[in-house]
Amino acid sequence: MQLFKRRESVILFFIVALIILFSIVTSGRFASYSNITQILVSAVPIIISSIGMTMIIVTAGIDVSAGSIVGLVGMTVSILSLQGIWSPYDWIIGILLGALLGFFNALLIWNLKIAPIIATLATMGIYRSLVFTVSGGRWAIGMPSLLLWIGSGTIFNIPFSIFLMLAFVIYFTYFMSRRVIGRNIYAIGNNIEAARISGVPVGKTIFFIYTLAGVLYAISAFAILGRTGLAQSTMGTGFELEVIAAVVIGGTNILGGEGTIVGSLIGALLVAVIKDGIVLSNIPPLLTDFVLGALILIVISIDVILKRREIA
Amino acid sequence: MINLIKNTVINKDNEKVSITSIIFLNRKFLLLSLFIVIYAFFAIFAHNFNSIQNIESIMVFSVEIGLLALGETLVIASGFGGIDLSVGSMLGLSAIVIGELIGKFGLNMWLAIIIGLIVGTGGGLFNGLMIVYAKIPPLLTTLATMYLYSSLALLFSMDQYGNAMPISNFPSIYSIFGQSSVLGIPLQFILIFVPITIILYLLVQKTIFGKHLLSTGTDEVVSKLSGINVNKIRIWVYTISGLLAAVAALVETSRIASARPDLGLNMNLEAITISVLGGTYIFGGSADIMAVFIASVLVIMLDNGLFLVGVNTIWQTGALGFLLIGALILDLVIRRRSS
Repeated sequence: MQLFKRRESVILFFIVALIILFSIVTSGRFASYSNITQILVSAVPIIISSIGMTMIIVTAGIDVSAGSIVGLVGMTVSILSLQGIWSPYDWIIGILLGALLGFFNALLIWNLKIAPIIATLATMGIYRSLVFTVSGGRWAIGMPSLLLWIGSGTIFNIPFSIFLMLAFVIYFTYFMSRRVIGRNIYAIGNNIEAARISGVPVGKTIFFIYTLAGVLYAISAFAILGRTGLAQSTMGTGFELEVIAAVVIGGTNILGGEGTIVGSLIGALLVAVIKDGIVLSNIPPLLTDFVLGALILIVISIDVILKRREIA
Repeated sequence: MINLIKNTVINKDNEKVSITSIIFLNRKFLLLSLFIVIYAFFAIFAHNFNSIQNIESIMVFSVEIGLLALGETLVIASGFGGIDLSVGSMLGLSAIVIGELIGKFGLNMWLAIIIGLIVGTGGGLFNGLMIVYAKIPPLLTTLATMYLYSSLALLFSMDQYGNAMPISNFPSIYSIFGQSSVLGIPLQFILIFVPITIILYLLVQKTIFGKHLLSTGTDEVVSKLSGINVNKIRIWVYTISGLLAAVAALVETSRIASARPDLGLNMNLEAITISVLGGTYIFGGSADIMAVFIASVLVIMLDNGLFLVGVNTIWQTGALGFLLIGALILDLVIRRRSS
């Protein structure tokens, strides 16, 4: 019975029901091996970014600059590789750039005490302008295939990005539940004042999670680049809201203190299953967002009702 | 025990009032001086900036985003993580409803406008009801309805082939809301934006509703204990936000003589930015309508001036970000000085 009260189980139940429903509607095409890997690959960037976003939201913060960081890293890396810089160096530069952008967010939030949503709103605009400055408004296309390998390469016929995503999810699940920094993140989210008094290095932890989130956005940018093969100035617009949606569908409390990375993984999968299923079952794609929005409301209402019953 | 609680409440209340009133004064002063400095700068360095046509166009462009920012201000002031991400989608939905009713179904223009306003108001009301009765945090509710409403707008604008199409066959009289002027001042600025600002200012500053709104945002539990109907206030602010988005839809469709489902795209975060620039405290409890009004004109003026100086338009969002951080740093300095 305890299992049914977890948000993760509610959503897993929804995913299974949807997979069965879509499979019947599409006479089995939905459950084919190639389609399932397709769904997973399309969810990879959101899942990797959602790891960082989960940590941030657990500390009662939020980061709406995620999409702009993805765009800026993706664009910078593409332009550098087009100028002949070897791809592994591009990856290192991209990761460092992501870390730097995340670090700057933390600087505004911790040192200037600006509320996270406002600080990241401001940097969202600034980073987006930088994307246009770097690109000059043009597309970047024709990147070397090595650069795209993170998103498009395969190992034993399984896309590499899925392995990468699983490795991140497993490590950071362990990190959040067993390592000191992971526990500190929850402590800060539950009661920042109590955490500070009991010796949690609040400032260091805040800097750590925003910088780490920047790195994870950069890796998501590599995965997106590999999938699409081109970088536009609008790359990553709206990405932040998709990531936040996945995280909160997955049970992370927007007010901080609770949430798991596995939950965010399941939330992102739910969104990916819906998007793919709608296309395959010939529902007009204009309805995708409608179903997505309605589902967020339904899932969370069920969760709230279950929790309320528990209290009563 | 009761005495103890009462005392702390009174102390907290007094303290809160004095702090907020200090910030209020400084914020308006800050924005006005920024306004004058930026205006003077562009008047000297930007060609044609100080011309009547240009000032008119600044007024015209500040109305739509300003109306959204005003709605956002009330929502944020109501506390409990109050935020409205769906304003842009409500704008798009109302716009397409008005457009479809007039352009496709040939309904009477005024009736179509009223229905469009009702649709926007209904969207806001739905947000409020979900937040208050389903107890879903505002960020989540409005994230979900952002998707819902923009998808509905796309659906309504679908033609027989399943493509979203804009509507442009408005009667010529429809253009009065966005293309005409009164005494040389754009009509939507002087007859829509300014009166709404004044009404909301009076609502927040002079009515019991406003007092209850600010106290709800400051401390929900205390407000509830002192008999304020917190739920009713929350539902009202989200509904007003929806109505203002619908008014903005009316003005924008009239100005560009076309209704598109994606009209409000990306306006939600900009509206929040302007509201915060206008001194709205993100955790609720303070709303300075006049400062938000100044902030929305200021932001549009900055965009316009930068464009005329020859800065690429892609730096508009970046400039907004720098302005926001700059204002907050100044705010921090002023607050440290005064305390």
